[in-house]
Amino acid sequence: MTDAILIVILILMASVAAGLVRVAIGPTPSDRMMAAQLMGTSGIAVVLLLANVVEVTALIDVALIFSLLAAIAVTAFTRRRVQDNEE
Amino acid sequence: MNVADPLNWTAIVLMGTGAFFFVAGSVGLLRLPDRFSRLHALTKADNVGLGFIILALMLIAPDPFHAVKLALIWLLVVFAGATGAHLIAKRALRNDGEDSR
Amino acid sequence: MSELLLLFDLLLTVTLLVLATAAIMSREPRRAVILYIAFGLLLALVWARLRAPDLALAEAAIGAGLSGALMLAAARRATAAKRQHASQPGTKGETS
Repeated sequence: MTDAILIVILILMASVAAGLVRVAIGPTPSDRMMAAQLMGTSGIAVVLLLANVVEVTALIDVALIFSLLAAIAVTAFTRRRVQDNEE
Repeated sequence: MNVADPLNWTAIVLMGTGAFFFVAGSVGLLRLPDRFSRLHALTKADNVGLGFIILALMLIAPDPFHAVKLALIWLLVVFAGATGAHLIAKRALRNDGEDSR
Repeated sequence: MSELLLLFDLLLTVTLLVLATAAIMSREPRRAVILYIAFGLLLALVWARLRAPDLALAEAAIGAGLSGALMLAAARRATAAKRQHASQPGTKGETS
């Protein structure tokens, strides 16, 4: 069972590493933010699976904070610039 | 943990399905041509992939309290993902700030 | 089990190092900030792997979430101020 969970974790980490390419090359900032959001969701999945492997149940709270973080980062990213409205 | 237990097998299959959705999301993010189709790939991976993995973890959770907590995390991710995707799409549609990098 | 865990550690470390290098070498502020947020996420994963959930919580909430959002706002203001400054005649030479 632990082996199966670890294999799933490895697949997810590989997918995160692939999404990293989009963060690096992404033509627009939106693309980079999208890739970062996918990394956040994969991070939640990895933390939850890791909680079963290393047997630390408190890691569920870390996943909760991860999901809050994604919302905060996207909202901060899509806010309009103040200076543009004044011109 | 007993591997021959049907509950564990179901959990493993569900986990594999979730991982498949995550991989599909990453491939879509890398290969799709424009911003909006990439956003579409991303939201599927977010909601369905994490949904399957959390379903699998709920099956092997030690007690019901943890299972409920996992379900609440998924609910939060779904709401945050939908709102975030909407915000990013709106921002990209208005072309707001895209040219000032 | 231990081999797979070792492979996971290796993948995590390599990804973390690549992210840190990319964030430092990046020229545009917004790209650097987004890379920094991703770096904070992976660092929280490292703390989770080392069985330190309290450190992972602090890193995810403060390191990646709060300072990431603040730095995004700062980067936006910096680019806007720079553009405004550059559009005024006579002061072009001062902007770098």
